Amino acid sequence: MKLKIGIYWGAACGGCDVAILDTHEKLLEIADMADIYLWPVAMDFKYSDVRAMKDGFLDVALFSGGVRNSENEEIAELLRRKAKVMVALGACAQLGGVPGLANMYTREEVLRRVYLESESTVNAEGVLPLESSKADGHELDLPHLYNTVKTLDQVVDVDYTIPGCPPASLQIYSALGLVADDMLPKKGSVIGAGDRALCDECPRKKGEKTITKIYRTHEKLPDADTCFLEQGFICLGPATRSGCGSRCIKSWTPCRGCYGPLDDIADQGIKMLGALASVMEPKEEKDINAMLDTVVDPLRTFHRFSLASSILRRRKA
Amino acid sequence: MKRIAIDPITRLEGHGKITIFLNDEGAVENAYLQIPELRGFEKFVEGLPIEEVPRVVTRICGV
Repeated sequence: MKLKIGIYWGAACGGCDVAILDTHEKLLEIADMADIYLWPVAMDFKYSDVRAMKDGFLDVALFSGGVRNSENEEIAELLRRKAKVMVALGACAQLGGVPGLANMYTREEVLRRVYLESESTVNAEGVLPLESSKADGHELDLPHLYNTVKTLDQVVDVDYTIPGCPPASLQIYSALGLVADDMLPKKGSVIGAGDRALCDECPRKKGEKTITKIYRTHEKLPDADTCFLEQGFICLGPATRSGCGSRCIKSWTPCRGCYGPLDDIADQGIKMLGALASVMEPKEEKDINAMLDTVVDPLRTFHRFSLASSILRRRKA
Repeated sequence: MKRIAIDPITRLEGHGKITIFLNDEGAVENAYLQIPELRGFEKFVEGLPIEEVPRVVTRICGV
Protein backbone atom coordinates (compact mmCIF):
# COMPACT_ATOMS: atom_id res chain seq x y z
CA MET A 1 0.00 0.00 0.00
CA LYS A 2 1.25 3.49 -0.79
CA LEU A 3 2.33 5.78 2.01
CA LYS A 4 0.28 8.90 2.65
CA ILE A 5 2.55 11.88 3.16
CA GLY A 6 2.05 15.52 4.14
CA ILE A 7 4.86 18.03 3.66
CA TYR A 8 4.74 21.41 5.36
CA TRP A 9 6.93 24.40 6.22
CA GLY A 10 6.88 26.77 9.17
CA ALA A 11 9.49 29.54 9.43
CA ALA A 12 11.50 28.15 6.55
CA CYS A 13 13.06 29.14 3.22
CA GLY A 14 11.80 26.29 1.04
CA GLY A 15 15.29 24.79 0.80
CA CYS A 16 14.12 21.55 2.42
CA ASP A 17 11.31 21.30 -0.16
CA VAL A 18 13.82 21.86 -2.95
CA ALA A 19 16.04 19.18 -1.40
CA ILE A 20 13.11 16.76 -1.86
CA LEU A 21 12.79 17.83 -5.51
CA ASP A 22 16.58 17.53 -5.90
CA THR A 23 16.27 13.77 -5.54
CA HIS A 24 15.84 14.12 -9.35
CA GLU A 25 14.72 10.84 -10.96
CA LYS A 26 14.35 9.27 -7.52
CA LEU A 27 11.40 11.61 -7.10
CA LEU A 28 9.59 9.22 -9.45
CA GLU A 29 10.35 6.41 -7.00
CA ILE A 30 9.01 8.56 -4.16
CA ALA A 31 5.87 9.10 -6.24
CA ASP A 32 5.57 5.30 -6.63
CA MET A 33 6.13 4.84 -2.91
CA ALA A 34 3.85 7.60 -1.63
CA ASP A 35 0.84 9.77 -2.32
CA ILE A 36 1.20 13.37 -1.20
CA TYR A 37 -1.75 15.03 0.58
CA LEU A 38 -0.20 18.41 1.47
CA TRP A 39 2.78 20.25 -0.02
CA PRO A 40 2.30 24.02 -0.28
CA VAL A 41 5.37 24.69 -2.42
CA ALA A 42 4.36 22.23 -5.11
CA MET A 43 0.69 21.21 -4.79
CA ASP A 44 -2.66 22.89 -4.22
CA PHE A 45 -4.02 21.32 -1.02
CA LYS A 46 -5.44 23.74 1.57
CA TYR A 47 -5.54 23.72 5.38
CA SER A 48 -9.23 22.83 5.11
CA ASP A 49 -8.23 19.57 3.33
CA VAL A 50 -5.96 18.65 6.25
CA ARG A 51 -8.58 19.57 8.86
CA ALA A 52 -11.04 17.23 7.08
CA MET A 53 -8.69 14.21 7.39
CA LYS A 54 -9.31 11.58 10.07
CA ASP A 55 -6.74 11.62 12.87
CA GLY A 56 -3.81 9.37 11.94
CA PHE A 57 -4.78 9.44 8.24
CA LEU A 58 -1.27 10.39 7.12
CA ASP A 59 1.52 7.88 7.55
CA VAL A 60 4.17 10.60 7.70
CA ALA A 61 4.30 14.37 8.10
CA LEU A 62 7.55 16.05 7.10
CA PHE A 63 7.70 19.44 8.84
CA SER A 64 10.48 21.86 7.89
CA GLY A 65 10.99 25.30 9.39
CA GLY A 66 10.90 26.58 12.91
CA VAL A 67 7.88 27.67 14.91
CA ARG A 68 7.81 31.46 14.66
CA ASN A 69 4.14 32.31 14.99
CA SER A 70 0.79 30.94 16.10
CA GLU A 71 -0.04 29.63 12.61
CA ASN A 72 3.17 27.54 12.50
CA GLU A 73 2.24 26.06 15.89
CA GLU A 74 -1.39 25.46 14.92
CA ILE A 75 -0.42 23.57 11.74
CA ALA A 76 2.27 21.63 13.63
CA GLU A 77 -0.39 20.48 16.12
CA LEU A 78 -2.83 19.71 13.30
CA LEU A 79 -0.28 17.57 11.42
CA ARG A 80 0.75 15.85 14.66
CA ARG A 81 -2.86 14.70 15.07
CA LYS A 82 -3.26 13.71 11.43
CA ALA A 83 0.05 11.83 11.06
CA LYS A 84 1.19 8.57 12.57
CA VAL A 85 4.84 9.61 12.27
CA MET A 86 5.98 13.22 12.73
CA VAL A 87 9.36 14.06 11.23
CA ALA A 88 11.33 17.25 11.84
CA LEU A 89 12.90 17.92 8.44
CA GLY A 90 15.99 20.10 8.38
CA ALA A 91 17.91 22.36 10.74
CA CYS A 92 15.09 24.87 11.37
CA ALA A 93 12.58 22.28 12.56
CA GLN A 94 15.28 20.45 14.54
CA LEU A 95 17.27 23.37 15.99
CA GLY A 96 15.54 26.62 15.00
CA GLY A 97 18.05 27.10 12.18
CA VAL A 98 19.14 30.47 10.82
CA PRO A 99 15.73 32.10 11.55
CA GLY A 100 16.31 31.12 15.19
CA LEU A 101 19.00 33.83 15.31
CA ALA A 102 16.07 36.24 15.80
CA ASN A 103 16.18 35.03 19.42
CA MET A 104 19.06 37.50 19.84
CA TYR A 105 16.37 40.19 19.80
CA THR A 106 12.87 40.80 21.07
CA ARG A 107 9.78 40.60 18.88
CA GLU A 108 9.45 44.41 19.09
CA GLU A 109 13.05 44.98 17.95
CA VAL A 110 12.47 42.71 14.94
CA LEU A 111 9.18 44.41 13.99
CA ARG A 112 10.69 47.88 14.40
CA ARG A 113 13.68 47.12 12.19
CA VAL A 114 11.65 45.41 9.45
CA TYR A 115 8.64 47.74 9.24
CA LEU A 116 9.95 51.10 10.46
CA GLU A 117 13.72 51.44 10.34
CA SER A 118 15.07 49.53 7.35
CA GLU A 119 16.59 51.76 4.67
CA SER A 120 14.30 50.44 1.94
CA THR A 121 11.06 50.78 3.92
CA VAL A 122 8.61 53.57 3.12
CA ASN A 123 6.09 53.60 5.95
CA ALA A 124 5.49 57.23 6.93
CA GLU A 125 2.42 56.33 9.00
CA GLY A 126 4.36 53.71 10.96
CA VAL A 127 1.90 50.90 10.24
CA LEU A 128 2.73 47.56 11.88
CA PRO A 129 1.04 44.22 11.13
CA LEU A 130 -2.05 43.71 13.29
CA GLU A 131 -3.39 40.37 14.43
CA SER A 132 -6.89 41.61 13.73
CA SER A 133 -7.81 44.59 11.64
CA LYS A 134 -10.70 46.07 9.69
CA ALA A 135 -10.40 47.07 6.05
CA ASP A 136 -13.45 48.56 4.31
CA GLY A 137 -15.58 47.02 7.02
CA HIS A 138 -14.08 43.53 6.55
CA GLU A 139 -12.45 41.67 9.43
CA LEU A 140 -8.97 40.38 8.62
CA ASP A 141 -6.55 38.48 10.82
CA LEU A 142 -2.89 37.48 10.94
CA PRO A 143 -1.05 34.98 13.16
CA HIS A 144 0.60 36.13 16.39
CA LEU A 145 4.35 36.61 15.93
CA TYR A 146 6.10 34.99 18.89
CA ASN A 147 8.85 36.67 20.86
CA THR A 148 10.88 33.45 20.71
CA VAL A 149 11.51 31.14 17.74
CA LYS A 150 10.86 27.55 18.81
CA THR A 151 11.93 24.19 17.46
CA LEU A 152 9.30 21.67 16.37
CA ASP A 153 9.91 19.42 19.38
CA GLN A 154 9.31 22.36 21.72
CA VAL A 155 5.66 22.42 20.58
CA VAL A 156 4.71 18.87 19.52
CA ASP A 157 5.90 15.31 20.03
CA VAL A 158 8.45 14.56 17.26
CA ASP A 159 9.14 10.95 16.25
CA TYR A 160 12.20 11.35 13.99
CA THR A 161 14.59 14.03 12.78
CA ILE A 162 16.26 14.41 9.39
CA PRO A 163 18.97 17.05 9.95
CA GLY A 164 20.67 19.52 7.61
CA CYS A 165 20.38 22.93 6.01
CA PRO A 166 19.27 21.66 3.69
CA PRO A 167 19.23 17.90 4.27
CA ALA A 168 21.20 16.08 1.55
CA SER A 169 18.60 14.97 -0.99
CA LEU A 170 19.56 11.31 -1.05
CA GLN A 171 19.36 11.27 2.76
CA ILE A 172 15.69 12.32 2.53
CA TYR A 173 15.11 9.57 -0.02
CA SER A 174 16.78 6.95 2.18
CA ALA A 175 14.85 8.14 5.26
CA LEU A 176 11.54 7.78 3.37
CA GLY A 177 12.71 4.29 2.41
CA LEU A 178 12.98 3.43 6.13
CA VAL A 179 9.31 4.37 6.54
CA ALA A 180 8.20 2.47 3.42
CA ASP A 181 10.15 -0.65 4.43
CA ASP A 182 8.99 -0.45 8.05
CA MET A 183 12.63 -0.23 9.16
CA LEU A 184 12.43 2.87 11.36
CA PRO A 185 14.75 2.84 14.39
CA LYS A 186 13.58 3.68 17.89
CA LYS A 187 11.46 6.79 18.33
CA GLY A 188 13.47 9.96 18.80
CA SER A 189 16.28 8.86 16.47
CA VAL A 190 18.00 11.05 13.92
CA ILE A 191 17.59 9.40 10.51
CA GLY A 192 19.17 10.19 7.15
CA ALA A 193 22.53 11.12 8.69
CA GLY A 194 25.64 9.62 10.22
CA ASP A 195 26.25 8.81 13.87
CA ARG A 196 29.77 10.19 14.10
CA ALA A 197 31.27 13.68 13.91
CA LEU A 198 31.73 15.37 10.54
CA CYS A 199 35.53 15.16 11.04
CA ASP A 200 35.22 11.40 10.47
CA GLU A 201 33.97 11.86 6.91
CA CYS A 202 35.93 15.07 6.14
CA PRO A 203 38.48 14.46 3.36
CA ARG A 204 41.05 16.93 4.79
CA LYS A 205 44.18 15.59 6.54
CA LYS A 206 44.24 15.78 10.29
CA GLY A 207 47.36 15.88 12.44
CA GLU A 208 48.30 17.35 15.79
CA LYS A 209 46.25 20.48 16.38
CA THR A 210 47.87 23.43 18.14
CA ILE A 211 46.22 26.67 17.19
CA THR A 212 48.18 29.84 17.91
CA LYS A 213 45.82 32.30 16.22
CA ILE A 214 42.20 32.28 15.10
CA TYR A 215 41.68 33.48 11.53
CA ARG A 216 38.62 34.79 9.73
CA THR A 217 38.17 33.17 6.33
CA HIS A 218 39.31 36.24 4.39
CA GLU A 219 42.48 36.73 6.43
CA LYS A 220 44.53 34.00 4.79
CA LEU A 221 44.15 31.41 2.05
CA PRO A 222 43.69 27.94 3.52
CA ASP A 223 45.87 25.18 2.12
CA ALA A 224 44.09 22.62 -0.02
CA ASP A 225 44.23 19.50 2.11
CA THR A 226 44.77 20.28 5.80
CA CYS A 227 42.04 20.41 8.45
CA PHE A 228 40.60 23.95 8.65
CA LEU A 229 40.76 23.95 12.44
CA GLU A 230 44.48 23.10 12.41
CA GLN A 231 45.01 26.15 10.19
CA GLY A 232 43.21 28.37 12.71
CA PHE A 233 39.85 28.67 10.94
CA ILE A 234 36.87 27.90 13.15
CA CYS A 235 35.20 24.78 11.73
CA LEU A 236 32.28 23.17 13.59
CA GLY A 237 33.14 19.67 12.32
CA PRO A 238 34.05 18.28 15.77
CA ALA A 239 30.63 19.33 17.16
CA THR A 240 28.54 18.41 14.12
CA ARG A 241 26.90 15.20 12.95
CA SER A 242 28.18 13.67 9.73
CA GLY A 243 25.98 12.80 6.76
CA CYS A 244 26.04 15.95 4.62
CA GLY A 245 28.79 14.65 2.34
CA SER A 246 31.13 17.46 3.50
CA ARG A 247 29.52 19.84 1.01
CA CYS A 248 30.91 23.05 2.52
CA ILE A 249 34.35 21.57 3.23
CA LYS A 250 34.67 20.44 -0.39
CA SER A 251 33.84 24.03 -1.38
CA TRP A 252 36.79 25.31 0.72
CA THR A 253 34.46 26.54 3.45
CA PRO A 254 34.64 25.52 7.11
CA CYS A 255 31.57 23.84 8.63
CA ARG A 256 29.00 25.97 10.44
CA GLY A 257 27.18 23.05 11.98
CA CYS A 258 23.91 22.69 10.05
CA TYR A 259 23.66 18.94 10.72
CA GLY A 260 23.35 19.66 14.42
CA PRO A 261 24.86 17.90 17.41
CA LEU A 262 25.47 14.19 17.89
CA ASP A 263 23.19 12.16 20.18
CA ASP A 264 23.29 13.12 23.86
CA ILE A 265 24.89 16.52 23.21
CA ALA A 266 22.60 19.12 24.76
CA ASP A 267 24.25 22.16 23.22
CA GLN A 268 26.20 22.08 19.96
CA GLY A 269 27.76 25.54 20.39
CA ILE A 270 29.10 24.81 23.83
CA LYS A 271 30.41 21.44 22.63
CA MET A 272 32.31 23.33 19.92
CA LEU A 273 33.70 25.84 22.42
CA GLY A 274 35.09 22.91 24.41
CA ALA A 275 36.55 21.31 21.28
CA LEU A 276 38.16 24.60 20.27
CA ALA A 277 39.63 25.30 23.70
CA SER A 278 41.19 21.81 23.72
CA VAL A 279 43.17 22.41 20.51
CA MET A 280 44.40 25.91 21.30
CA GLU A 281 48.04 26.42 22.25
CA PRO A 282 47.26 28.44 25.40
CA LYS A 283 46.50 26.18 28.34
CA GLU A 284 45.88 28.72 31.11
CA GLU A 285 42.30 29.94 31.48
CA LYS A 286 43.31 33.59 31.17
CA ASP A 287 45.22 32.93 27.91
CA ILE A 288 42.43 30.71 26.53
CA ASN A 289 39.91 33.48 27.21
CA ALA A 290 42.17 36.06 25.55
CA MET A 291 42.31 33.92 22.41
CA LEU A 292 38.57 33.20 22.44
CA ASP A 293 38.01 36.96 22.68
CA THR A 294 39.44 37.21 19.15
CA VAL A 295 36.40 35.35 17.77
CA VAL A 296 34.47 38.21 16.17
CA ASP A 297 30.90 36.95 16.51
CA PRO A 298 30.85 33.98 18.88
CA LEU A 299 27.07 33.56 19.21
CA ARG A 300 26.39 33.37 15.46
CA THR A 301 29.58 31.35 14.92
CA PHE A 302 28.97 28.61 17.48
CA HIS A 303 25.15 28.64 17.43
CA ARG A 304 24.60 29.53 13.76
CA PHE A 305 21.83 26.94 13.37
CA SER A 306 21.12 25.89 16.94
CA LEU A 307 20.40 28.98 19.05
CA ALA A 308 16.69 28.19 19.52
CA SER A 309 17.50 24.65 20.72
CA SER A 310 20.50 25.59 22.86
CA ILE A 311 20.57 26.04 26.61
CA LEU A 312 20.85 29.78 25.88
CA ARG A 313 17.59 29.61 23.86
CA ARG A 314 17.24 33.41 23.55
CA ARG A 315 18.55 36.71 24.82
CA LYS A 316 17.06 37.47 28.19
CA ALA A 317 14.05 39.68 27.51
CA MET B 1 -21.81 38.89 1.95
CA LYS B 2 -19.84 35.74 1.17
CA ARG B 3 -16.24 35.20 2.22
CA ILE B 4 -13.87 32.93 0.28
CA ALA B 5 -10.50 32.03 1.82
CA ILE B 6 -7.61 30.64 -0.21
CA ASP B 7 -5.36 29.46 2.59
CA PRO B 8 -2.57 28.82 2.05
CA ILE B 9 -1.75 30.07 -1.43
CA THR B 10 0.41 27.43 -3.03
CA ARG B 11 3.11 26.64 -5.58
CA LEU B 12 5.35 29.51 -4.53
CA GLU B 13 8.06 30.03 -1.92
CA GLY B 14 6.63 31.58 1.19
CA HIS B 15 3.39 31.91 3.06
CA GLY B 16 0.32 33.79 1.92
CA LYS B 17 -3.44 33.77 2.09
CA ILE B 18 -6.10 35.47 0.00
CA THR B 19 -9.49 36.49 1.36
CA ILE B 20 -12.20 37.46 -1.14
CA PHE B 21 -15.48 39.14 -0.18
CA LEU B 22 -18.41 38.74 -2.58
CA ASN B 23 -21.42 41.05 -2.56
CA ASP B 24 -25.06 39.89 -2.66
CA GLU B 25 -24.92 39.63 -6.46
CA GLY B 26 -21.93 37.30 -6.19
CA ALA B 27 -19.46 39.81 -7.59
CA VAL B 28 -16.08 40.47 -5.95
CA GLU B 29 -16.34 43.48 -3.67
CA ASN B 30 -12.87 43.30 -2.09
CA ALA B 31 -9.93 40.92 -2.17
CA TYR B 32 -6.98 40.92 0.23
CA LEU B 33 -3.59 39.27 -0.01
CA GLN B 34 -1.92 38.77 3.37
CA ILE B 35 1.55 37.50 4.20
CA PRO B 36 1.31 35.72 7.56
CA GLU B 37 5.06 35.18 7.78
CA LEU B 38 7.99 37.15 9.16
CA ARG B 39 11.42 35.85 10.15
CA GLY B 40 13.36 39.08 10.66
CA PHE B 41 16.53 38.67 8.59
CA GLU B 42 16.71 42.48 8.44
CA LYS B 43 17.42 42.46 12.17
CA PHE B 44 19.53 39.39 12.79
CA VAL B 45 22.09 40.06 10.02
CA GLU B 46 23.05 43.31 11.77
CA GLY B 47 26.65 43.09 12.93
CA LEU B 48 27.24 39.76 11.20
CA PRO B 49 30.84 39.49 9.91
CA ILE B 50 30.69 40.23 6.20
CA GLU B 51 32.35 36.96 5.16
CA GLU B 52 29.56 35.05 6.95
CA VAL B 53 26.70 36.95 5.30
CA PRO B 54 26.48 34.80 2.12
CA ARG B 55 25.81 31.64 4.14
CA VAL B 56 23.08 33.36 6.18
CA VAL B 57 21.13 35.32 3.56
CA THR B 58 20.99 32.30 1.27
CA ARG B 59 18.44 31.06 3.82
CA ILE B 60 16.03 33.89 2.97
CA CYS B 61 14.79 31.77 0.06
CA GLY B 62 16.00 28.27 -0.78
CA VAL B 63 13.87 27.81 -3.88
